[in-house]
Amino acid sequence: MNKSSLRLSHRALLAFGLLAVVMLTGCAQIKLGTPVASIENIQKAKASGMQPSSVGDFVLAKGKPATLDTRISVRSNSVSSPYDQSFAKYLKETLSTDLQAAGLLNPASSTVIKGELTDSQIDPAIGTGSGKVAARFTVTKAERQVFDKEFVAESKWESSFVGGVAIPRAINEYTALYRALVSKLLDDPAFRAAVK
Amino acid sequence: MYRNFAARAVGWISFARLAMAAIAMVAFSGCATHYVDGATKEVLAAQFKKPAEPGPVQLIFEFQTRGTLNARVTDLLKTQVREQVSGSGLFANVDDKPVAGGALLSVTLNNVPLSDDAFIKGFVTGFTFGLVGSTASDGYVCTVTYLGRGQAASVTKVARHAIHTAMGTAAAPGDAVKMDDMRQAAQTMARQVLSTALNDLSNDATFK
Repeated sequence: MNKSSLRLSHRALLAFGLLAVVMLTGCAQIKLGTPVASIENIQKAKASGMQPSSVGDFVLAKGKPATLDTRISVRSNSVSSPYDQSFAKYLKETLSTDLQAAGLLNPASSTVIKGELTDSQIDPAIGTGSGKVAARFTVTKAERQVFDKEFVAESKWESSFVGGVAIPRAINEYTALYRALVSKLLDDPAFRAAVK
Repeated sequence: MYRNFAARAVGWISFARLAMAAIAMVAFSGCATHYVDGATKEVLAAQFKKPAEPGPVQLIFEFQTRGTLNARVTDLLKTQVREQVSGSGLFANVDDKPVAGGALLSVTLNNVPLSDDAFIKGFVTGFTFGLVGSTASDGYVCTVTYLGRGQAASVTKVARHAIHTAMGTAAAPGDAVKMDDMRQAAQTMARQVLSTALNDLSNDATFK
């Protein structure tokens, strides 16, 4: 290969890199979609024998950085919750949506489910993406705490090098973690006993 | 040395301009045309086999991408899906909360890629200013699961559809129908594939 063709291939690489930078990055502000009732969680809730319950405050756990609750970064795009920019409140809405669809949400109930967001991570790396959401749930009955446990939902997925493919995929996978967290709560025997 | 540097600089600038033109082509050309596949056609509600006494039903709808909930597209389509189920004549009324009798209808629309190299095709089309056309296809699997009043077993019906996207000079795919934009393509596809699944459900002997 002579010098001029070598130079041309370097230029081609640079041009390709330039294209890649434009196509793989962005700086949009994106909000998660509103929670959708899960047929699996509805059936789990119905089968649990739980009594209609109310859903109380969901907040960021003490000592955690505020950014954990307010945003995640997906390849330079900022993703936030549609509920006061709080992922803790997004978890509350996810649980409320499932319980309401199961006919088990009663705001007047003395059985109250509360939550604290303890972790929220996403890494849409090229190759394999990963995400993690964790929360501590408590149940009080007539103001007496009867349940306190932390749950963690994690996932990994194939993550494209193309931003236009990887970014929506990562957001969908991250959103699904909230549903998975509620699923783990509804599966837990101690929780089921607490809300009977 | 300076002459050599100047010549190289001019070369870089020319190439950078070409690259920027290609970027503009890819980013702003809007040369994609969407087609709804012609194999799955809308079944009108009048053709559904209506139950003797339609009952109320709780509707749960979700749009998925590769099997994972896509909450944003679910938001876009949920009103259309609800109106279509309401207008089907198969149910007395449709609610998102539990109904008397406990009947439940779950509608899932899953977007599955039919051609995984769609980006590469689009990139080539953009980089050649549309001279090299390409077509990418997306599949949609509509799964309707119905659990009737007092029934222990559910009934499931599955229907399939596709949207084709032609880029650059690519020819229109087969008997597909051209749409104005992606939104119209998605809404048309959703209406047609759901009508097919609901029609199958209405003709199931266990659907009452």
